[in-house]
Amino acid sequence: MKVIGFSRQDSFGLGETGAMLNPKARWVLRHEGDIIMDIGYGVHGARTLNLVEGADESPELKVLAVVNYTRPMTNSPERVVDYLQGLGRVDGIIANTHLGDETTLEIICQGNRMIRDTVRQLGMEVIYAAVDQKLAKAIIPGECEIPIKYIHRYMPSAIW
Amino acid sequence: MVAPVTPKSWYLPTKPHKFCPGCGHGIVLKALGENIDELGIQDKTIFGCDIGCSLLSWNFFACDSTQTHHGRTTPVMVGIKRSRPELVTVGYMGDGGGYSIGSQHLVNAAVRNEKLTLILVNNTNYGMTGGQMAPTTLPGQKTETTPYGRDPELTGYPTKGPEFISAITPDSAYVARATVSKYKQLKRFIRNALRNQLEGNGFSFVEVLSTCPTNWRTNAQQTWHFLEDDMEKYFPVGEIKSPFGKGDKTNVAD
Amino acid sequence: MDKVIGDAKKAFITGNETVAWAALAAGAEVMFGYPITPQNEVMHYWTRMAPKYNREFLQTEDEISAGFTVCGAVQSGKKAFTATAGPGNVLMQEPFGMAEAMRLPLVAVIQQRGGPSSGTVVYSQQEVTLTTFGGNGEGMRIVYSTATHQEIYDYTIKAFNVAWKHRFPTFVLGDGYQAKMREPMEMYDPIDKGIEMVAPYPLIGLGGEIGVDREPAHLCNIYSLEEELYEVVLKHAAEYEALSPSIVEWTEGECEDADIIILSHGVVSRAADDAVKALRAQGIKASYFRPITLRPFPQQALRDAIARSGAKKLLVAESAYGQLERLTRQEIYGETIKIETLFKPGVGIIDNDIINKVKSVL
Repeated sequence: MKVIGFSRQDSFGLGETGAMLNPKARWVLRHEGDIIMDIGYGVHGARTLNLVEGADESPELKVLAVVNYTRPMTNSPERVVDYLQGLGRVDGIIANTHLGDETTLEIICQGNRMIRDTVRQLGMEVIYAAVDQKLAKAIIPGECEIPIKYIHRYMPSAIW
Repeated sequence: MVAPVTPKSWYLPTKPHKFCPGCGHGIVLKALGENIDELGIQDKTIFGCDIGCSLLSWNFFACDSTQTHHGRTTPVMVGIKRSRPELVTVGYMGDGGGYSIGSQHLVNAAVRNEKLTLILVNNTNYGMTGGQMAPTTLPGQKTETTPYGRDPELTGYPTKGPEFISAITPDSAYVARATVSKYKQLKRFIRNALRNQLEGNGFSFVEVLSTCPTNWRTNAQQTWHFLEDDMEKYFPVGEIKSPFGKGDKTNVAD
Repeated sequence: MDKVIGDAKKAFITGNETVAWAALAAGAEVMFGYPITPQNEVMHYWTRMAPKYNREFLQTEDEISAGFTVCGAVQSGKKAFTATAGPGNVLMQEPFGMAEAMRLPLVAVIQQRGGPSSGTVVYSQQEVTLTTFGGNGEGMRIVYSTATHQEIYDYTIKAFNVAWKHRFPTFVLGDGYQAKMREPMEMYDPIDKGIEMVAPYPLIGLGGEIGVDREPAHLCNIYSLEEELYEVVLKHAAEYEALSPSIVEWTEGECEDADIIILSHGVVSRAADDAVKALRAQGIKASYFRPITLRPFPQQALRDAIARSGAKKLLVAESAYGQLERLTRQEIYGETIKIETLFKPGVGIIDNDIINKVKSVL
């Protein structure tokens, strides 16, 4: 996996995480292979894709909104709708409900079900739910009625 | 590999620079660098920068440079110039460093007609810290601290810096507003601002309208449109005060 | 006061977002602020939510203004707060000083970053001296050093109550790591936990007709005679000292019988906690002491812990070059326990750092 971004040593005087756009990031869609773009917060939502050359013309590009039902900005149907409508272009939803180390099966399923029901009213589907690998044994496939992809966390001790 | 032609006063070990793709800083610094070369002042130019994206220029030039604090570039340059008048002090800052936290220093340096050359890059937001409102943010513009659009009733109208600087300076000052979309004019205005210091006349100030596609979240077309159509509605480009001939506010293509 | 959170709920958010929600829940009516990393998101979240809860915001021209606008707001009787870091904290010492002098219930959240000067935008514990004793006064301030997001929430709410009840500027001292990392915490409306929010009241704009209903209010922070100032400072000091026993907070562990006490605050105390567990498991008698209030400092509790534990060494671990150590030494003057130090200015401290240091000094 190749990471395109500034290393910390290069981030002299960095005002905030991700404040500076790495020139390579502008042209990522010209690379061969699969590309995942992590687009963070901001008042402009999906308009951030304006910074990626060819984003509006790419037939393969999918814009997926990651929603965690434990985040206050998306912890009710109204807030989820508000949030998604404020984003702009959204092609699909990834349900990412979790509470860090305090995540339980119940929290995941309850939250993700709310997300699924809410987005259905907007004509969207939850493509999959992201769940920490550590909970793999606790979850019965199909229990939450949403396909699951398990996450392996590589940096559990990282502070940020 | 073919390398682009760069000014001699640019410091090559720090190139390519770290400014975002589409950022106007590179254009301004090139105009400044070419002028430093043409005027032959590389060895006696002191380059001071602020906090914010201008910070990235701290080791940009092959000139003695000092990075200061947010808004404090102006007083540091005053300290240098008053102690060593033979040096050419060039202060470089953004709209926040000049018109917000640095405004009291800017105003007072202007009133005292300090013989500095200040270049202020105006991109209507606080870029380095993630896109908050700046004094020059346009009405209705969304930023991280005006998520619903800037309301001039609550936060005032965009600051017109060169206009107020012109009002408080004597006729020996040089005050202009340039734009990165008109390079030759930008270069000419910076040259005049340096000349004004070299001739010992007075305060020299150039605001430069510049681009920030990263925080504006705009593609190339939208970026130019915002710069040329939207920003110039609020910020007229031209020389406002010049000891070198009639200051004229029309866009003059050189 | 309308409820903001509704049913208490667990949330997975950053420290900065926590501050914004806590201030909303505490009934803060206005925030004044200026961008500086790493606290910008406090403003980002506040500006998004403020209109929904009828709260106000102004991004001021700088931090000096942000501090003074909060002073003005609280004088007029509105709950107000600000947040800052590093050089912004330095600038705010002038308004914080005025708040000390005029006994204003100012609340400020400090997210420490590397210092001095622009330092780093990331993290440190190098603003302890500044936040506890900055300004040209005697440090009549209340400073809470938080270690978890739950504490950021709880103590931000508490800060408003303590400030308005006792009228000393009150600070929540966090850092860049707390500001940016995410962890689970529980949000709630204070009333649901039986926390009564102290009502604000004005010092000016008191209503009624002057000369008829009341005299005008004349507030000042300057005096003609040395003796006048002397009386005021002593009066404030007396109130502060009388208040201290009920305000000090700390936690300690394993201090019944220990060879070494690890003293730390903020996030470093989490590493100290883990280190003590690991050391004990290896048969090393380590304990920890964590001041939560840095001002007033829980000096009696620390003296008691030292006496009770029989420890011969006190290891001060901080992401600074001696700010906590100097504060501690001044507070426990007279104690003969040997002080060891683990100074990592601007750098995070993990349990292994502390474990290795303990082993090297015992």
